Amino acid sequence: MSEPLLVPIEMDQSWRYAATAAMARFCAGLKERRLEALRCDGCGKRYLPPRPVCGNCHLALRDWVAVRDEGRLAAWTVVHVPILDPRSGRMREAPYGMGLIRLDGADTTLNHYLAEQNPARLAIGLGVRAVWREQLVGAIDDILHFEVLR
Amino acid sequence: MTAGSLRRPVFVCGLGETGAVPEDPRSIPEMVLAAVQAAYRDAGCTQADVDAVVTASVDLLDGLTASNIAITEVVDAVMKPETRIAADGLAAALHAAAQIAAGSYDTVLVVAHCKASMADYQALTRWALDPIYLQPLGVDFLACAGLQAMALAEDDPGAERRWAQIAAARRSCGSSAFSGLCDVDRILVSPLVAAPLRAGMCAPLGDAACAVVLTAQAPARSAAIAVRMAGLGWDLERHSLGDRHLRSWDGLKRAFERACGTAGIEPTAGGFELAEPSCLYPHEEELFARATGIDAATPLSPEGGLFPGTAPIVAGLSRLAAAARRMRQGRAERALAHGAWGPAGQGQAVAVLEARA
Amino acid sequence: MNPVAVIGTGQTRHARARDDASQPDLVREAAARAIEDAGIRARDIDAVVIANMELFEGRAWPELWVGEAAFAAGKPCLKVATGGTSGTSGCIAGFHQVASGLFDIVLVVGFEKHSEGHTQTGMTLTDPYWDRAVASGAVGNFALSVSQYMADRGVTELQAALVAVKARRNAVRNPHAHLQMPGITVEEVLASRLLAHPLRLLDMCPQSDGACAIVVAAGERARKLHPRPAWVRAAATRHEQPYIGDIDRRLVTMRTLRDAAREAYADAGIREPLKELDVAEIYEPVSYAELAWYEALGFCAEGEAGRLIEDGVTEMDGELPVNPSGGVLSTNPVGASGVIRVAEAALQIHGRGGARQVEGARTALATGYGVYAWADVIVLADRP
Repeated sequence: MSEPLLVPIEMDQSWRYAATAAMARFCAGLKERRLEALRCDGCGKRYLPPRPVCGNCHLALRDWVAVRDEGRLAAWTVVHVPILDPRSGRMREAPYGMGLIRLDGADTTLNHYLAEQNPARLAIGLGVRAVWREQLVGAIDDILHFEVLR
Repeated sequence: MTAGSLRRPVFVCGLGETGAVPEDPRSIPEMVLAAVQAAYRDAGCTQADVDAVVTASVDLLDGLTASNIAITEVVDAVMKPETRIAADGLAAALHAAAQIAAGSYDTVLVVAHCKASMADYQALTRWALDPIYLQPLGVDFLACAGLQAMALAEDDPGAERRWAQIAAARRSCGSSAFSGLCDVDRILVSPLVAAPLRAGMCAPLGDAACAVVLTAQAPARSAAIAVRMAGLGWDLERHSLGDRHLRSWDGLKRAFERACGTAGIEPTAGGFELAEPSCLYPHEEELFARATGIDAATPLSPEGGLFPGTAPIVAGLSRLAAAARRMRQGRAERALAHGAWGPAGQGQAVAVLEARA
Repeated sequence: MNPVAVIGTGQTRHARARDDASQPDLVREAAARAIEDAGIRARDIDAVVIANMELFEGRAWPELWVGEAAFAAGKPCLKVATGGTSGTSGCIAGFHQVASGLFDIVLVVGFEKHSEGHTQTGMTLTDPYWDRAVASGAVGNFALSVSQYMADRGVTELQAALVAVKARRNAVRNPHAHLQMPGITVEEVLASRLLAHPLRLLDMCPQSDGACAIVVAAGERARKLHPRPAWVRAAATRHEQPYIGDIDRRLVTMRTLRDAAREAYADAGIREPLKELDVAEIYEPVSYAELAWYEALGFCAEGEAGRLIEDGVTEMDGELPVNPSGGVLSTNPVGASGVIRVAEAALQIHGRGGARQVEGARTALATGYGVYAWADVIVLADRP
């Protein structure tokens, strides 16, 4: 059989995404290191990220509550596969820690990086606190990662 | 096989739309939420009455893999069945009607959305074309429409003027958030976009969301006239334009025959008192007429159809909504709603709607 | 839902890269096999449903290009896409279209050609304002959920490795399966490359090129065409909130799968799944997920999943063989994976399982999994 024909095509497209009003307000708050969640009038669940509707209660979310930038690990892992960091355009070196963090004041968990990459020193329930970047642009990765409080 | 028939009747009981605008400042979830809430209000129902959701969106257009994930909460699909038909919104409505007829669900919410303003829509359409033979040429949907229009205009010297007249007439019908030419002569000198199509002839594409509630029961509410989806038909033509009859929409003819068969009526224009075709270009109205026999002698796009402005994916579902609205006002007892997708209308979908007092 | 049945199945040889075939070629390979298996001709197909997550290949409206390969030219054809559940969604869409009365025979084809894609488009399964900047991909996400599951239920890496071994050993008897690892051992799994603690390479599903098709027929027609149709007794679907952080300990609770199973079992009249199911093809994206699914599907009580695998209950010679095909852990063309579950469940009832046949299979379960926690549960049986 002859060599397979491979036709290479490159995709170079860009999209402009509109944020929800709630997300826009949340992102603005990040520039001041302020975290907020939206609390559902029905179930009381405090949502990060904020969004228009509580999916469980089908109620519009209007009630903003303050959230601290520290909390507890609800899940953790150490990732060994390098990944592209969109902010720097460079690969984020592995291994790096990742966690689901239940911030003080929110009921959903935040998926974010951890400063710790030794699995022996990570456990569900550990207290963690955000480490913010110098330059804040109003995006969730204005938080560089979370450090474990020891 | 001969056309099958729906095992259960399906009624249109709620309509909600944002209306198309050049650029909607809202996010997709907020746009969709507005349409869904409007549909519930119109139906006099809440999400608790809805058993399942069928959404219509295209990942590449939203720049989001599994694009329906962004709207799960606003379409009230959490802990409910939802499926996504990634084609024109009318196709999603036809599938939802099939779900109801199957006896699986009693009430289904159908939602279509698209924001053409987010990206370069025509450039994205290239990614629907055969990547071996067509895509490397940079062929997009607009070019395919031009090829089809040229095939029609070739031995028809009056075609362009006629098309300019159609575009002008449709655009003069109703209000529009888009600026579009309503003057025939100005249309005829507007820039060529894909000869012989001119910019002034094309329906402008923007942002919109549309939601329709379908149900197995005729709505008992105030609306004295119930609109029933009596016939459904859809079709997929061959992909390469060279494999198709370019001067006709054969797929629409087949879809129309199937829909009429399901509705138990002859596939002719007679009996239709209203048609809402999805035509982005004037020549497509003539293709629609050839395939269905329904031309401007029947009330056709009385609000202008897509020419005042539309959004991809939403177009066909908005035709269903437009037809249903007029039928509820008692202005038509039988209507044809139409949706199309792909290069030169490769995909086609129609619904035969019947009104009943 | 009105009575419908699966009367034929077909799938491709699944592989890491099918350079010998284009996307339409893969679709045709599966579609042709399915109609042959059903004993029908292409012209007997009334409508086609295609399942595919086209953005993985960087495409849009893929049915436009591949439709003809699925015998859909000149026929009604729609494309369904719901992440990993695309395949099961596509099958359910086919069931609905036949049950509606519109069509007697519908062909459902799911496919994916990951080798023609780019991982970047997989990364766009994230909110650009939220987790696109802090994503770690599917492996990282699963690892997070696994940490919760281990903490809550006490499953061990060894028990997960038993699942990984079962899958690949079963795959050896499936000529279509992508990963062929005869003689794979628990030690090999535990020594394989650590991707995201505690997930190792051999705990994960591969990315495959492949297609799978089923033929769905209406009651009367199914009886005429097939001596032993696989009747659809139940088909339930649940979607979930959109962010991983919304979901309470995903593998631990998996409310979507639990509730879909509850509805499906009720519709099918199943009260004791372990006893009443003869075979199950469940969508397990990672080894640990299969253990979590045992509990969510009611095969055992919570905390007992580890015991189930250790006792061999879900092995080929156990009380309820799970994934005789080798599962998603052995073959994963995303748009096809859900169809493969349904096809493998159906062919067990048809008695076409060959070396992977579960003797006397009469009632089969097929599940779909996708995105963070979307779920489909389908029950097939030899009687309507």
